[in-house]
Amino acid sequence: MSRRSTRSGIPLKPVYRPEDVAALGYDEALGDPGVFPYTRGRRPPDHAAAAWIQRELSGEGAPSQSNAQLKYLIETGATGLDVIGDTPTMAYLDPDHPAAAHAVGTQGVSLCCLDDYRELYHDLPLDGLTVSHSLPPLFGIAGFYLAARERGIDPARLRGSIVQPPFYCEDCGYATHMPFPLRLRMTADSIEFASREMPRFHAFLEDTYYISDGGLDVVEEMALGFVEIRYVVRELLRRGLLVDSFAPRIAILVNCGMDFFEEIAKIRATRRLYARMMREEFGARDPRSLAVNIASHTSGLSLTAQQPVNNIVRGTAQALALALAGVQGIEISGFDEAFRTPSPESHLVGLRTQQVIQLETNVSSVTDPLGGSYYVEALTAEMERRIQEMVARVEDMGDPAALCDRGWFRTLFQDAMERHARQVRDGTKPQVGVNVHRMPAHEDTLLRALAERKIEPSRERVERIRAFKRSRDSRRLRATLEQVSRAARDTTQNLMPSIIAATEVGATMGEVAWVLRAAYGVPGDPFGMMESPL
Amino acid sequence: MLIGMLGLDQHEVGAVAVARLLRDAGMEVIYLGRFNLPPGIVKTAGDENGDVIGLSCHSWEYLHYIDELLALLRQQGLSIPVVVGGSVLTAGDERLLRDKGVAATFGPTSSVEDIPAAIRAVVMDARRP
Repeated sequence: MSRRSTRSGIPLKPVYRPEDVAALGYDEALGDPGVFPYTRGRRPPDHAAAAWIQRELSGEGAPSQSNAQLKYLIETGATGLDVIGDTPTMAYLDPDHPAAAHAVGTQGVSLCCLDDYRELYHDLPLDGLTVSHSLPPLFGIAGFYLAARERGIDPARLRGSIVQPPFYCEDCGYATHMPFPLRLRMTADSIEFASREMPRFHAFLEDTYYISDGGLDVVEEMALGFVEIRYVVRELLRRGLLVDSFAPRIAILVNCGMDFFEEIAKIRATRRLYARMMREEFGARDPRSLAVNIASHTSGLSLTAQQPVNNIVRGTAQALALALAGVQGIEISGFDEAFRTPSPESHLVGLRTQQVIQLETNVSSVTDPLGGSYYVEALTAEMERRIQEMVARVEDMGDPAALCDRGWFRTLFQDAMERHARQVRDGTKPQVGVNVHRMPAHEDTLLRALAERKIEPSRERVERIRAFKRSRDSRRLRATLEQVSRAARDTTQNLMPSIIAATEVGATMGEVAWVLRAAYGVPGDPFGMMESPL
Repeated sequence: MLIGMLGLDQHEVGAVAVARLLRDAGMEVIYLGRFNLPPGIVKTAGDENGDVIGLSCHSWEYLHYIDELLALLRQQGLSIPVVVGGSVLTAGDERLLRDKGVAATFGPTSSVEDIPAAIRAVVMDARRP
């Protein structure tokens, strides 16, 4: 790729001029911030409004350890939280599953039962901050809902979000070993439940970060995100829900790589595309249904194991792009991302970076400061065209669910991974310290010891969960799991009430997932190592 | 050659890229993908008469599985060399793995161009009587 194109291959001119934006009418294509089609921002300009939500992805070890981490982040100035489960949790496996043994708590927090959620949120002002969740949706919502309710906090006041990944989870790192119809149902049931019981909570967070951080370009990232949003929206409409009953609580978590203006154009184009789609295709009327909430996590793939201190510079450039694009929330990937989930030091640096940008640079005093730039507007329009074109191309190939089952998306992801590796190898994607400006290993020491520090698996968790399982009232447990099983076999029922009831009497996520998989005709334990809880 | 990942490690970028690289270099690659445990890997390596087992790591689970994997190979009398690669490998990890008997390691700073030649050398070494 020549430098005269964006990372997704959009050809660039040396300079942009008025004729490049001549076709864009202000009211039609841009509009003021807070006005359709929301290209310039989802809210009207307001100096008194709070800045973007400043948070850092967290979760490590046992829930109590993560609780301490969350408190540390709040003390450091975080204005929101974002919790991710460890790999067993994301795979719906309990910590006592034999395949989980060496992964408990090393790449996120280990959560499997109601006690865990109580510990995770202990003493946190749940009705006073937003909590984003990268957790299995049914269980993350049930845990948040129950933990708040028993502390006397009305779930209707809870804010935050939860990732809904029915399409791409199997291929991109959150494999559930569940068939598509069950994954879609878990998504739709949890959104339906939350739109009634937790109306301020974004129960439908479309996460285009995790699908793109293997190497998708920005057009592919957003096109796949829109394919998933459109499918889930159609499913909710098919169930008879009114679009304005759930659309205000759809949000998107996007990636942010190193191509500064391309990322800004992507976010502005997404707001415009989304607003037009919701109004024209899905008939939404509530302005909150049209103006999508976008948060971003900066790209881990753009960070390097070589010269880890450079990752702080990358995070700064990315966060600045996001501030200029006008997002609702920012998380900066830790400088130690190539090696581990964030250390306290990289959490601190991530938050301080955001604070410096917000408080010292004055960039957020004016809304959409790049609006009207010949280049940014031309790139935004081209980005919109390309995303829309790819969405149409994918949907023209047939039912996206069938494409998913056939592995069409998986091939796309693998091709992107291979493309990224090739571009780094041949230098067309410059990475300082990797394919240019390299340094001998013995000199590459700055922050290295810190970045390479490991997290031990939480072995005591395994024993604790085993003991907890033995301590439960097995008769009540069995009765509620049978209720889950019956609900799962009756697609007219919502799964949430029975899962909440089971969770309240001590059922674990792994047990409920076992029952759900079995009801959908697949092995209860994908590894064939655990017995049926029924 | 077999290429796979251990336990619940799901970050597949490296595994996919290296599998393609080795195929392009003319090697026959059996891609085991994600979610492998040592007994399954050893069984497949034996059944397929593999020349080398390649593990791609983006979590630390390999540190705990590697002893079991090497012991199983020994127990079954399989002299199939094991190589380990991944961005999470530090210089110290690489030394530790080689001390345990891993034939070659590829950390984040190893040059991708060198991987096929290094693996060929490992295979030739293992075939030597």
